[in-house]
Amino acid sequence: MISFEPTDDQKMVRDSVAQFAERTLRPRIREFERERCLPDDVLQAAHAMGLPLAAFPEAVGGSGLGVVTQVLIEEELAYGDPAAAFALSGPGAYGWAALLLGGPELGKRLIAPFVGDGGHTRFGAVAWGERQVSRDRPGMVTTAERAGAGWKLRGEKSYVLHADRAASFIVFAQVDAAKGWEGIGAFVVPRDAKGLRVLPRLDTLGLDAASFGGIALDDVEVADDARLLHGGDAQRLVSFFATQALLVSARAVGLARAAFETTRDYCEQRKAFGKPIGHFQAIAFTLADRSMDVEAARAMVWRAAFHWDAVGHGAGTPASSESNAEVRAALQRIAWAVSFTLEAAMRAGDDAVQLHGGSGFMRDYPVEKWMRDAKQLQLCAMTAEHADQLAALIALDRPIDAALVLPSAESQNVFL
Amino acid sequence: MTIEFSLSTRQREMQAMIHQFAEAIIRPEALKWDRAHEVPHEFLRRIVMMSQTMGTSVAMGPGAGDPKVTEMDAETRKKRQVALTTIISAEELSWGDAGLLLCVPGPGLGGPPVRASGTPEQKKRFFSIFDDMSTELRWGAYALTEPGAGSDVAGIRTSCRKDGKDWVINGRKCFITNGARASWNVVFATIDPALGRGGHRAFVVEKGTPGFSVGKIEDKMGLRASETAELVFEDCRVPEENLLGGEASYTTKQGFMTAMKTFDNTRPLVAAMAIGIGRAAYDYAVDFVKKHYVLSRPIPRYAALAERLARVGRGLAAARMATWHAAWLADQGEPNAKEASSCKAMAGLASIRACIDAIEICGAEGSIAAEHQLLEKWFRDIKVYDIFEGTGQIQRIVVSKRLMPDLKSF
Repeated sequence: MISFEPTDDQKMVRDSVAQFAERTLRPRIREFERERCLPDDVLQAAHAMGLPLAAFPEAVGGSGLGVVTQVLIEEELAYGDPAAAFALSGPGAYGWAALLLGGPELGKRLIAPFVGDGGHTRFGAVAWGERQVSRDRPGMVTTAERAGAGWKLRGEKSYVLHADRAASFIVFAQVDAAKGWEGIGAFVVPRDAKGLRVLPRLDTLGLDAASFGGIALDDVEVADDARLLHGGDAQRLVSFFATQALLVSARAVGLARAAFETTRDYCEQRKAFGKPIGHFQAIAFTLADRSMDVEAARAMVWRAAFHWDAVGHGAGTPASSESNAEVRAALQRIAWAVSFTLEAAMRAGDDAVQLHGGSGFMRDYPVEKWMRDAKQLQLCAMTAEHADQLAALIALDRPIDAALVLPSAESQNVFL
Repeated sequence: MTIEFSLSTRQREMQAMIHQFAEAIIRPEALKWDRAHEVPHEFLRRIVMMSQTMGTSVAMGPGAGDPKVTEMDAETRKKRQVALTTIISAEELSWGDAGLLLCVPGPGLGGPPVRASGTPEQKKRFFSIFDDMSTELRWGAYALTEPGAGSDVAGIRTSCRKDGKDWVINGRKCFITNGARASWNVVFATIDPALGRGGHRAFVVEKGTPGFSVGKIEDKMGLRASETAELVFEDCRVPEENLLGGEASYTTKQGFMTAMKTFDNTRPLVAAMAIGIGRAAYDYAVDFVKKHYVLSRPIPRYAALAERLARVGRGLAAARMATWHAAWLADQGEPNAKEASSCKAMAGLASIRACIDAIEICGAEGSIAAEHQLLEKWFRDIKVYDIFEGTGQIQRIVVSKRLMPDLKSF
């Protein structure tokens, strides 16, 4: 069947998140922006509602609600404040990486600290990005070498969400130089590991409440069992990025809807030449286009999430590999949803400022923030360009080329 | 209910069957029909038989013409997803050939207004002629547009006046799909242009009615296999039983509402047809690139091609989701005017983009006409999908009025 109606349970979850977004997030977006973080009471409230753990399987401490429910949550959160959706505590990308790349057992162990009392104070981070381009070979500049029974990590990671507050990192590094993107490994590194230095927080264009930074690894030694992503499965990495990008695209829908609705209301009130400016076709047609964007983007995200859940990837416990036809079809739906939605959010932010005119440029209105947030959001997890390459490779029956699809200094860097 | 995007077994089977037929039987003939300006009746008879076997109508109008569907109650329509199933079939048939789809016998765009506004007797009378088409093919048509009133439906000038037990119609209609061959046309006229929408009346005018004649048959950019006719009414006398819905139903603005309500059903359908053409072009370009993909070539050329392909693919995917949503709402019995216009606007643009980009991707080869190379035909066929059934601009007017309730007119 085809159906666009959430279950009663999903509606309940969505409505309660919508209420939280409207009452707790929206009125305070400028405060979060100024403080450059979410205050404790907000983190605690989100944690109490179970938002950060909703989609994770019950076996690892989550609620097992699946990605469809999670995208409903992400849209509402971002409708309240796109930055808040990124700034929330919880396992986030760190948890997904542990589960998808390390398996259920490691997932359970790494997600455990986020479950129950005090979980809201904890952050995990994924150290993927690098400023430096690897010039002599494909892959990463950061390396992991054998050191006794364990591993020694060396290099610098950038564009890391929560870097300054994470208790633990999953660090990606080149294990096998000759294998390029297939030779990437991942390692769990605690913040207090010897030789790990947290780099200063970055000043960013948007999403101010979320902290982006990096870490330097100066011969950091970890035990052998700290390694995940055995066998250097680049295809599994693509799935990990696709999952994250899908969640980001749900936030993009929330952002676009907030920008559109606020602008529509403004255009109904603001008068020029004796009537509301929304009653001029040039304005009305722009609003109509943005409304179509929001509706279509949401449906695409839902469809992608539905198929991702259906192939088991939504729960981080895929039953089949990325070469499976159904998984490839689902990946293509994600790719389409991601690129369409990210661009739709940017159009929504841009037009919101444009239709507000000079006022839109002033910080009295939220639209300038949404425009900045939209641009930065387009650079989180996966860009539209990466997603387009992914969709095309699948359409052309080509193997998924990690060099084209995975964000890197060589293609485009992203925040993760 | 739950959020779900898998087709039912019935929908999937039908889709696969039409697809196979479209690929093996329709495609090789499409260019011939385009050149001949018609689809042979023999072939159309085959289509009619096929849709009877499948127990559904792939003809235009959600289930129109199928008496079982015409009489179907809301709950059954919802359960069987009549509108959704129809648009899924329409996309597939249009992928085969859009010109053919418009030629398929049946009530066509005339179906929805008769179903929405006709009295039980009228429905029986006008639909029953499609029950058995084994010896003679029949069509219905929808005549709204006039030389002086296209998008501005309220501005029609074709007049009607009551004379005894008859109505007398005078005026001209243009761009009417299947208008000449139709057994009947649903014709919109006005008792007094000064009354605006309140003055509108809809009639079923049967072929051979005195005073009704066919003017010119249009020569078009695309969809050349489909007949587009001008209709002339000179003191055309129509019995009062042919006034759609009966006289009492026009005490409000219903005449105009009939014309408009029809669009809520037909716009998603036309959107699906557009997507069918766009997807045909997209699929062709994908196959073309696959065939010409040489591994030794530098990546950047392919990266640019890939991005273009992906843009086309996602544009169609977005339009398809909007279209499914509009049809799903119709099946749920919920208002869908905004969604119907949204999907029509998105589908027209996305599919035109698809046809333009596909030709560009294939290079010179893309503009050559040949039996299995139909890109240039699709390029010609697709343009009108952003024009008929309401231009893209009209769709945006409809959408913006729904977004801003205070907005009555521009």
